[in-house]
Amino acid sequence: MNEQKYLNLALAQMHTGQWFGWKKDYTGDVRMAYENIILNDDTATMPSEAEVNAKIQQIKDAETNAATKKASGKQKLKDLGLDDDEIQALIGV
Amino acid sequence: MAIDKITTPAVTDDSVTAAKINNDIISGTTALTSEPADTDEFLVSDAGTLKRIDYSLIKGGGITVADQWRVSADFTGAASPISSNLERVDTSGQGTIGSAMTVSSGVFTFPATGIYKIEFISQFTINDNTRYYINYIESSRNNGSSWTQISENASYIQQTDSNFTPQSLYTCSLFDCADTSNHKVRFRVLPVNTNTTTYGNTAHNETFFTFIRLGDT
Repeated sequence: MNEQKYLNLALAQMHTGQWFGWKKDYTGDVRMAYENIILNDDTATMPSEAEVNAKIQQIKDAETNAATKKASGKQKLKDLGLDDDEIQALIGV
Repeated sequence: MAIDKITTPAVTDDSVTAAKINNDIISGTTALTSEPADTDEFLVSDAGTLKRIDYSLIKGGGITVADQWRVSADFTGAASPISSNLERVDTSGQGTIGSAMTVSSGVFTFPATGIYKIEFISQFTINDNTRYYINYIESSRNNGSSWTQISENASYIQQTDSNFTPQSLYTCSLFDCADTSNHKVRFRVLPVNTNTTTYGNTAHNETFFTFIRLGDT
């Protein structure tokens, strides 16, 4: 995912529903940027840029952690004596 | 005695055959350089009998409306209907035919009556499993006072690599719009896991709707 998609996903993960959108007459190079966020929902509040960045980092960390756990889990199975083909058959990696 | 003029009595009914007509009878005449008027006439052999037919009766067949809209931002959970962040496709290279659909609060109005093919494609993701995610196309015959489901499709996500896993879903219906004031459509998504995010994007199509007018109602 590129940075725009991370931003889009992070915002969507902060609240349910179509609470945000993008300015039609946007500023900057791309429309999908923090400076162009608009609120569709009166009950929603604009998150700070720091809050949004923290959410993006949380998503990225989850992806990294998943990859790390996958590698460590595979290694533990190897340590138990399973070979690569057995591990592949068992967990698909 | 040379004959330099054929008088009417000399040509009896049905006596001029195809063999007597020069091959330039069409190519030798002035070209019509624009679409014929509806009342312009063509010659046709109707089971062997020569008749004329108006252009209005034989023209047509082309697509007069082809339009596409998309969701321009991600959202999480259900949407009934998808009512915000709807934009007509406008990225360089994308194109449409004819007048545009219009939308208000997620309710789409057709630019002309006709039989339409309506396609709804959504792309969605979750960092988990979701047993089902359903796309609905709904239609109204009374300008939105009541809605009828005309198409439904479901899919699911079984998480891969313990991470955000995308999926996409297609549903489609033909729709008879005989009255543009009252015959409308809208789109819904229903994920059983409300943490499911439906993708939307301003730069390209991820979750989008296509409307193609196939012919008259």
